[in-house]
Amino acid sequence: MMKLSDESFALLLLCSHLGLPEIPDAKPLSTREWNKLEQALEAHSLNLPALAGLSVKQIKSTLQTSDDEASRISLLLNRGSAIQENLDRLNELGIWIITRLDEDYPRRFIERLNAAAPVLLYGAGELRLLNRRGLAVVGSRNIDERGFAVTEFVGNACAESKLTVYSGGARGVDKTAMNAAMVAGGNAVGLLADSLEKGVRAADARGRIEEGQLALATSFSPHASFTIGMAMARNKLIYALSDFALVIASDAEKGGTWAGAEEALKAGWIPVFVVDGPNVPDGNRLLIKRGGIPFPDAFGDSPSSLGDWLEEHTPAKEPVALQGSLF
Amino acid sequence: MLGQEAQFREGQFQAIDAIVTRRARVLVVQRTGWGKSLVYFLSTKLLREQGAGPTVLVSPLLSLMRNQIEAAARIGIRAITINSSNRADWDAAETALSRDACDILLISPERLGNDRFMRSVLPGVSNRAGLFVVDEVHCISDWGHDFRPDYRRIVRVMERLPAGIPVLGTTATANNRVVDDVLQQLGSELLVLRGPLVRTSLRLQNIVLSTQAERLAWLAHNIGKFKGSGVIYCLTVADVERVTGWLKSQGIRAEAYHAGDDAKIDREALEKALLDNELKVLVATVALGMGFDKPDLAFVIHFQRPGSVVAYYQQVGRAGRAVDRAYGILLSGREDDDIQDYFIESAFPPPETMTSILDEIGARTGVSLNELLSRVNVSRSMADRALKLLEIDGAIEIRFDKRTVYYRTSAQWQPDIERTNRITSLRRAELAQMQKYVAHRGCLMEFLTRALDDPDARPCGLCANCQGRGFRAEVPAELVTQAAEFLGRVDIVLEPKKRWPTDLSLSETSVIPADFRNATGRSLCYYGDAGFGRLVRQGKYERGAFDDQLVEASAKMIRERWNPDPFPQWVTAIPSRRHPGLVYDFASRLAARLGVGFIAALVRTAEAPEQKLMANSSMQARNVAGTLETIERVPSGAVLLVDDIIDSGWTLTLAGWLLRKKGSGVVHPFTLARATARKTS
Repeated sequence: MMKLSDESFALLLLCSHLGLPEIPDAKPLSTREWNKLEQALEAHSLNLPALAGLSVKQIKSTLQTSDDEASRISLLLNRGSAIQENLDRLNELGIWIITRLDEDYPRRFIERLNAAAPVLLYGAGELRLLNRRGLAVVGSRNIDERGFAVTEFVGNACAESKLTVYSGGARGVDKTAMNAAMVAGGNAVGLLADSLEKGVRAADARGRIEEGQLALATSFSPHASFTIGMAMARNKLIYALSDFALVIASDAEKGGTWAGAEEALKAGWIPVFVVDGPNVPDGNRLLIKRGGIPFPDAFGDSPSSLGDWLEEHTPAKEPVALQGSLF
Repeated sequence: MLGQEAQFREGQFQAIDAIVTRRARVLVVQRTGWGKSLVYFLSTKLLREQGAGPTVLVSPLLSLMRNQIEAAARIGIRAITINSSNRADWDAAETALSRDACDILLISPERLGNDRFMRSVLPGVSNRAGLFVVDEVHCISDWGHDFRPDYRRIVRVMERLPAGIPVLGTTATANNRVVDDVLQQLGSELLVLRGPLVRTSLRLQNIVLSTQAERLAWLAHNIGKFKGSGVIYCLTVADVERVTGWLKSQGIRAEAYHAGDDAKIDREALEKALLDNELKVLVATVALGMGFDKPDLAFVIHFQRPGSVVAYYQQVGRAGRAVDRAYGILLSGREDDDIQDYFIESAFPPPETMTSILDEIGARTGVSLNELLSRVNVSRSMADRALKLLEIDGAIEIRFDKRTVYYRTSAQWQPDIERTNRITSLRRAELAQMQKYVAHRGCLMEFLTRALDDPDARPCGLCANCQGRGFRAEVPAELVTQAAEFLGRVDIVLEPKKRWPTDLSLSETSVIPADFRNATGRSLCYYGDAGFGRLVRQGKYERGAFDDQLVEASAKMIRERWNPDPFPQWVTAIPSRRHPGLVYDFASRLAARLGVGFIAALVRTAEAPEQKLMANSSMQARNVAGTLETIERVPSGAVLLVDDIIDSGWTLTLAGWLLRKKGSGVVHPFTLARATARKTS
C-alpha cells in the first residue's frame, strides 16, 4: 500500500518529524529549506538518494554549506531504520504518504501553490478523491439553524451534481457539509488541521473510507494535534484543491474562515461564493464587497444543477497563481 | 560479579569475543546460572569503551531487571529501565538517553507495543545501539512453552536494526525445534553457542499422590528435612493460597507469591525474604519465573505437574545453582490433567469471541475494556488475551489517554485457525511427554536433558531412580486426616463490592452507598474441592438437598471462627425458581442451628439465566438486576444472607442492597461454596 520511491523516501527523511524525538538533534527541513536544497541539488545534478550516500564532509563541499547544515542533512538522511516502525504503524492505520516528487501528488497544489505546495502529504482513503471537480465548503464551527440548513443542502447538492466536497473535517460547517454529501452517496475530502491518526480512528470516518467515499489528508505529522497555525496553513489547501469555494458563514475581519476566504479572494485561485441573505453574518457581507460572489441562502433550482449554477455565476476571469515561483 | 582472579566459564569468552570483535549475532543456550548476564554486561562495557552506543536489552520480567540493574552498577555500568511500573521516571530516562548518560537500556517486551516509546524513544536508541540483547529469546518462538505475543514485535525491531549492530539472544531452555525457529526468525547467520544443561547437584524425584490431602500431608511431613529454603510451585492461585495456609497452620514459614492483587502481595519483599532465607518456602505460581536467581535455593517442589518438560526444567532448575545438594521433587495428583486440559483449551480465545470483540471495537470510536465487557459476554482474562492477539495482528490499536482505549485499525483480520490448532496439538504433545516423565523409571535428569536436545544427555547418578532411593511417598495417616480437615475449612472471605459495574448504576453514583453495602462475608469452601466442596456439589446436583454435615460445619464456622458483628438476628436466603427449596431448606436448618428465625424476605420476579453462563462481572450484574425484589416488611435487625454458591457476587450485592433499602440491619453474606475461577499466575 505504501511503497515510496527512493527519492520520496529520502525526501520524507529530510522533511518529516516521523521517528524524531520531541526535541530532535536535527530539525527536519521546512518547505522553504527544501526548496532551496532542491535547487542546489539541481544545480549540481545530484539526486536525493545520491546525497544520502555522501559523508558530512562531501555534503559540505558539494553544497557549499556550513558544518552544522551538512551534518543536519546527513543525520536526517541516515535515520532510515528509525522511521520504518512509524511507517509500519501508519500503514496499519491505513495512512499513506505522498511527496511532491511523486507522480500521483495532487497536481492542483503545484499549479496553484507552486513552491508553497506542501512537500509531504499524509492521508487515508482514496487518493483519487483529491483530484476531483469539487466545491470547497467553509465556515465556522458554530453556525445557526439557517446556516446549518444551507450547509446540509449544499452537501446534498454536491452529491447530486457530482461535485466532491472539500472541507476541513472540523465540527460545524465542515462535518455537516461532508456528511450531507456522503449520506447522499457523494464524496468528501477533509483536509485536516488536527491529528490525522485521530481522524481515522473515528468509527464513522473509518466506514466511509472503506466505502471509498471519504479521503482525509494533512500536510502535518499525522499525530500532531490542532493548532491555530495549522488551521491557517491548512485553509489554502482546501481552496487549492477545489474548483469553487462557498463560504457559509464568516466573522468580519477575524477568525480562520475570514482569513482563509480573504486570502483566496486575493489569490484568485478559484471563484469564491459567499452565502447571502437577510440574516447572514457581517463577515459574509464584507466578503461579498471584496469580491465574493453572492450565493442565495434559499437555492431556488434543483440540487443537481448546483455545478452548472456555480459555473454560470463564475465571472469570466483567468485564475492566477498568487504565489509565483520563489526562484 | 567479577573478582581479580575471576575466570570465564566455558563459552563466555567465546560469546563476548564474537560480539565485541566480530560484531556477530549470537544465540547462547546455557543453563540458568551459567552467567549470561556477565556476557552482556562485559560486552556492553567493552563496546562502550570503543565508543559504541548503549546496549538495548529486552527482558520479560521486572523481577529480573531489579537484580540486573544492581549487578550492572557493580561493574560501573549505568543501566536504565523503562517499563510500565516506572512511568514517573520515563522523562528522566529519555533525557539520560539523549545525553548518552546510559550504558544499557532495559525494557520489557510490552514497551515495544507502546506508541510513544516506539515513535519517539526507541528509534533514537536502536539506531545507534551498540548491542541488542534479547533475554529468554525462546519466547520468540511459537514452539516455545511460553511464547509471548509481545516477542513478535522484537522480530520486527531486529529486522530494522542498522547492519553491523551485534545481537545476543539468550535462553536456558531451547530444544532443537525452538532453536531452529529462533534462527529462522532472527536470521540464520546467528552463531549458536550451546552448553550442557545438566545440573550436577540437583536430585530429582517423582512422587504420585492422588489426593490433595495426601500431598499437603507429604509437604508438612517432609519440608523440615530439607536444609535451607525452597520454592513450591502450584498451578493455580487458589492452590497457592491453600498450600500456604496449610503450611502456616503447621508452623512452617511459608508465604504465597502470585501475580494477582498488587495491594496485598509485595512480590519484591517476598523475593527478598526468600533470598535472605527468612522464609522456609515461597509457594508460587509461574509468576515467580524467569530471572529470579537464588543460587543457594535448596529445593523446588511441584505440588502439581507442569504442562511441559521445558517449563518443568526451567522451574526445577532454579534449585542448586551454587550448592552441592539440592532437590527437585515433582508431586502429581489426579487433578493435574483436568487443570492442564483447561489451560490448553482456554489458551486461545475462540474465533467467535475474537470476531465479536473486533466487531464491537469496529462499531465504535474507541472502546475501553469495561465498555467491551458490558457488551460482549466474555471473561475479563479471555478478553485481555483476545485484545493482545488482535493488537499484535495489527487489527486494533491500543491507546492510553487517562484510560486504555482500543481502536479498530484499517487492517483486515481473519482468525488463524491453523496456527491455533498447531499450537494446541503441540501443547498436547508436551503434556503427554510430561506424563511420560512422571512414569519414567530410568534416569530423570537424562530424560529431561534429552527432551531438551542436550547433546551430552547421560545418566546423572543422583536422582531417586539412579540411586534407587529417595523420599518416601508414605505419610502418617493422622497428618492426612488433618490435611483433609484443613481442606474442609478454608473460610473464604467475601469482600463486599463497592461499585456498580460500568453502565449499570442502581444508585445515584457508581459507588454503592456505604449504608447499602454488604458487610464482609464468608464462604465455607471452594466448590467441588475435596471435603465440603464435594458435598456441596452432591447436594446441589445429585441429592437435591444439602447434607447435615454442611449445616453443622457452617454453624460452627459462623459462631466460632467468623463471629459476624452485630450477630445476625434473622436469616434469609436467595430465592431460586430453578431449584426451589434447596437453599431455603438449608438456610432454615442453619437458622435453627444458630437459634434465630428464617424469613423469606426476597422474591424472584423472573428467573434469570444461570449466573455461571455470564462470563464477566458486568454481564452478571445485568443478569441479576430486575429479577429480585423484597417483601414489604423487612425486619430491622442484622441479617445473615445465605446462598449456595457465590460466583460473581452480584446476586448477593443486589440482594443486600434491596434489604438495606427496605430497612434491614447489617447484611452478612454467607455461601456454602465459592466457584473457583482458574487463575494461573
